[in-house]
Amino acid sequence: MITQKFKHFQRETLNNLWQFRARNVFSVTIICLSFLIVGIFVSLSNNLQYTAQQLSQDMAVVFFLNKDISPIDREAITRELGKSPLVQKTQFVSSEEAMEKFLTKFPDLQGIIDNLKLNPFPSSYEISLRGRDLTYEETQPFIDKMRGMKGIEDVQFNKDWVEKMQSLSRLARAVGFFLGGILVLASFFIVSNVIKLNVIARKDEIEILRFVGGTNTFIRIPFLTEGIILGALGGILSLLLLFVVIKLFPIYLGSSLGILNELINFRNLTFSQSFALIFSGAVIGLFGSLSSIAKFLKS
Amino acid sequence: MIELYHVWKQYQKPDWALKDVTIKVNQGDFCFVTGPSGSGKSTLLKIIFREIFPTHGQIVVDRRNILRISDHKIYRLRRTMGIVFQDFRLLFHKRVFDNVAVVLQVLGYPRKELRRRVFNALRMVNLNHKMWEYPSHLSYGEQQRVAIARAVVNNPNIILADEPTGNLDTELAFEIMSLFSEINKKGATVIICTHDRELIRHFGKKIVFLYKGKLLREEYI
Repeated sequence: MITQKFKHFQRETLNNLWQFRARNVFSVTIICLSFLIVGIFVSLSNNLQYTAQQLSQDMAVVFFLNKDISPIDREAITRELGKSPLVQKTQFVSSEEAMEKFLTKFPDLQGIIDNLKLNPFPSSYEISLRGRDLTYEETQPFIDKMRGMKGIEDVQFNKDWVEKMQSLSRLARAVGFFLGGILVLASFFIVSNVIKLNVIARKDEIEILRFVGGTNTFIRIPFLTEGIILGALGGILSLLLLFVVIKLFPIYLGSSLGILNELINFRNLTFSQSFALIFSGAVIGLFGSLSSIAKFLKS
Repeated sequence: MIELYHVWKQYQKPDWALKDVTIKVNQGDFCFVTGPSGSGKSTLLKIIFREIFPTHGQIVVDRRNILRISDHKIYRLRRTMGIVFQDFRLLFHKRVFDNVAVVLQVLGYPRKELRRRVFNALRMVNLNHKMWEYPSHLSYGEQQRVAIARAVVNNPNIILADEPTGNLDTELAFEIMSLFSEINKKGATVIICTHDRELIRHFGKKIVFLYKGKLLREEYI
């Protein structure tokens, strides 16, 4: 009996989907576009999160030394670094090595360096810190102390960048959820109204089903399945579109944004994010149709 | 089987569609409800299958007060009834077969059994050859017979028919009434609303006369 009913629901759902295909396509498109907006921001946020992670894996402080630092001062700095429990690894980079590194990264700028006729790069200590989740309170006294030492000209700490990346990522996600939330809400009402139109179009059939002993569940199920399918389809299509955007966007953008290219980029959604997107679509479809059929069955 | 006690129905003040109607229809009765237009025949049927509630009074069907059945359990009552509506209420986007099969689909019949029963019901009304047609391609009388096939396909205990022969020629009307008579002989209680005196004279066993919502008289022939 259950198999027969299941087959009936399957048939009815497919009938409903086909019979009202124009407005069903419309509602799938709306859901798809709403979820695409959410997807784009989540993808952007993923990329910022990824960049922040990459940076935090290499939580480094660079102490730039004075050109004319005395060997005693340099010795004192080395001793101080060796004493600190925060320091995992210390590497001295001479001004020659610094220039070499620079020229390897930017070979086009060889001419400018040659014209300078002197090495503009200071020697430095590159420090890797112990632990990725060090707080500001933990690191700042050490950095301040080092900054105050004789012979140190400047300090560069990439923790600021990590934090900036993380806040940008959070911002992108928040904007995505805000804009997407509004659109998803709109798509909820659209699905609800499309299903309501389908319900009204089948008013006679519903009435007959009630007169021949159909339960409310029996009447409701094909409409609910229809809503779930429309929502999930919208979600799947938005994922496909997002995939296309991720592939095409870098080609379209080229290298016009320079270093920002790395930041304004898209990263594929994770499996759980993709699943959540499709699932949310299905849930919106389900609730959209539930609300419209509930009103109808009550009346 | 079907008992109505002091049933009153008012759609709009101050008119009463039914006024203090008390009727008892026994199991296996072939009952005609008759009276002029507006006498409350259709209202009476609608109250029996609980499409509408009476303003006052009680209705007992098969020893159950149907007014006390909750909305989500009313399907149990309706599964014991076959209803033929005055306007047939067929699904014009579905084939004749599907129009009849809908009753059995609700009950979850296996496909093979469903096909067999639908075929038999359509053969009974002599429409088995038009099983795959759409109702819009059928004549008025044929559509009426599809509605009858749908009402009888699950062998219900009670058949309610509202003007099932309205607008049909006499020959076809007699043919359809013979169908109801056959179903009745198999044990079903049949209640038919009609104002066709010829049919009542020919087929009637129990007759209920209504006039302006009031029960004039009840008689067995």
